[in-house]
Formats: sequence, structure tokens, C-alpha cells
Amino acid sequence: MRIITHACPACGTVVAANELESRRVMKCPGLHCEEVHRFDDLEDEEREHFLENKDQYRI
Amino acid sequence: MKGLILAGGRGTRLRPITHTGPKQLVPVANKPVLEYAIEDLKEAGITEIGIVLGNLGREAIQEHLGDGTDFGVEITYIIQGNPLGLAHAAGCAEEFVDGDDFVMYLGDNILEGGVTDLVESFETGDHAAGIALQRVENPQQFGVADVDEDGTVKELVEKPDDPPSNLALIGIYVFSPAIFDAIETLEPSWRGELEITDAIQSLLDDGRSIDSAIVEGWWKDTGKPEDVLEANRLVLEDALGTVNGTIEDGADITGQVDVAEGAIIEDGAVVRGPVSIGEDVRITADTYLGPYTSIGAGSTIESAHVENTVVAGDATIRTSVKIVDSLIGESATIDTADDLLPEGKRLVVGENSQLKL
Repeated sequence: MRIITHACPACGTVVAANELESRRVMKCPGLHCEEVHRFDDLEDEEREHFLENKDQYRI
Repeated sequence: MKGLILAGGRGTRLRPITHTGPKQLVPVANKPVLEYAIEDLKEAGITEIGIVLGNLGREAIQEHLGDGTDFGVEITYIIQGNPLGLAHAAGCAEEFVDGDDFVMYLGDNILEGGVTDLVESFETGDHAAGIALQRVENPQQFGVADVDEDGTVKELVEKPDDPPSNLALIGIYVFSPAIFDAIETLEPSWRGELEITDAIQSLLDDGRSIDSAIVEGWWKDTGKPEDVLEANRLVLEDALGTVNGTIEDGADITGQVDVAEGAIIEDGAVVRGPVSIGEDVRITADTYLGPYTSIGAGSTIESAHVENTVVAGDATIRTSVKIVDSLIGESATIDTADDLLPEGKRLVVGENSQLKL
């Protein structure tokens, strides 16, 4: 199973795509980091792959 | 080499303690379990550490560890979110690992011997992975490895009826970046998780070499209250008896008793080590603290009898009832009902609490 992640450009905290997708827009979970992450921050191809295989990421 | 500590999970078997905090911060001998993993990695020369966090307790763990400076390491946090399995947790760390080898360590485990032997054994050969093993009496209940005389793994079997050896996987691994290719080929298992043993088996099936190291000394998974007490007992066996606090004249102390700064054991108290007393703890006269007890910072133990017990911080115990074999959470109060009418116990007990009165 392909695992897709996104690293916060401000604090370096890595967030799994399943977490980004479930919230769509979220404040960075890195403590005291003000960055906002969006599912749309992922590459088009990554988003497409995730959505096509969404059930796998909800096991 | 880098380190990866898995600190997700719901901690359901440690409720109600884990209703208010992650299981990885439960204290063992007055130190959160997670810190033992960090110390082991550091001892093996690993200072770049990724901490994988789940849905619960993220903030508490980040608050406690910060960027790692206080512990002499550099920490990157990796948010796994839903618990999709150990292989998923490892896969989330690919960007952090960035082509290095890495040790993966379950954050609620404590090992007496650390991980240095495992790391050194892995580094002596061209291995795709290394696994820590321990001899167990009931291999049918574990993932078991069949190894040759050099320690190279021939086969992994999950909870076998007819185990090929008594060497159980204890949840500590070293991986080369080859593990990420193996993870990508995995499908969720029957229990709906990406299994790390499946990823290692996939490496074996591809003809890759898997090393093993047998861990000597004790190993403890602190998933249940009795495991926390057992780990506390094992760690306290090595208590040094370091006294940075105050022991008043007339306090009766025997055995190894660690007393942290600001703590006071008053005249008339009796303490039988090994015992660990945290910062700013007050042990009053007429109190008895028995062996294998840890009292968390800021707690007060007043005219009570406590033994083989772990008390987290800021708790108050003031009762004539003997407290043994217990795990008492942060800021809990156990007071006496001796003078109250009508006679009887007064309880405010949270969900999943366990009391034996």
C-alpha cells in the first residue's frame, strides 16, 4: 500500500494523507506551529491515488 | 542511523489512566516510559529521532519532549492519525528517514539491555532488516523466528501451533530503506492493518538477508496496569539510592531510596526500598512506603501505607487503608472516610476504573 505524507514547510512535522483527507483543512499538529495544511497541498497525482484507494486508508 | 519511536495507540488496557494522557507518558520509576526508548536510542549513538503520533495524546507528548533538546536528541514528529498498523507507521516515516537505516521501537516497551547489540549486529552485515528476539516459554502466543547459527532469519511465523523455535519478536527492529518498497507491496491483513511482519516476510521472500539479535535481560510491554507495576519493580531493582531531597532525623529508611530535589521524608515515616520519590513530594510521619513504590512529583502521602504501587504526580493519599499493587493517576485524591457518617466509602470513579475495596 502506498503511503503518502506531507511535511510542514514551517516546522517539519510530517502528516499522513489519511489525516489530511479526513480534515481537509487543519492547523498544523506540530505544537505552537501556526501553519495551515490542506488536502490540496498534496500533488494532484497523490490526491488522485488517495481518493481512488480511499477505503484502504480507512482500515 | 535514525530512530523511530511509535507512540500512537489508544491505550485501552490502561484506562482510566489513558483517558487523560497517552500510555507512553505513564511513569515507571518516576520517568515516562517513552523516555526509556529515547535513552536506549541515544546510548546506541542515535540522536535523530522520529516520534510517530496517533490521534490521542499528541499534544501531551510534544509538550513533554519538545524538540528533544532537553534529552540530547533532535525530534521530528510524524502524525499517523488512524492506527493503520506498524508498517503504516513506518511508511509514514520515509521522508524523515531519507535513505538512512533506522531503528523502530515501540514507545511503550522497556528493555533492560537497550538496542546497542541489535544495531551493532545489523551493521556488521549487508542486511535488509534486523529483528530483536527474546526466548519465551510460550512461543505459541508470539510472532516467532526460525534462525540459523549466525542469527540470520530463515522464517517468521505468527503465533504458530508448532513453533520452530522459542525466539519471539519483541517489537524492536532495524530497517534499511528496502523496507519501504516492501511496505508498498502490502495489503491490509485480516485484522485490517498493515503488518510489519508481512513486510519483513516480503523481504525474506525476495531473498534479502534478515539479521537477528537475542535480547538478554528483561523486556516489558507496559500495556496493562500489572505490566506497569512489573516494569516499575524491574527498574527499581537498579535504584541507586540518590538523595537530593531531605530525609529528616527520625525517618526510618532501609534499602535503596531515591529522593528527588524538594522532596521531604518527615520524622516518623518508614520507607523500605527500593523506592523512588519524585520532586517536591511530602511523606509525612506515620506513613509506611514499602518496596517497589514510586511516588510522582508534587504528591503528598500522609499517614498512609503504600507498597508495590505507582503514584503519578500531584496525587494525595491520606488514608488508613493499606494500598498495595496499585496504579494511581495524576492528581488523584484518596482520603479517609473514618470520621464520616453514615459509615461507608465515598467514591467518584471514572469510566473503566477498577477498585478492590
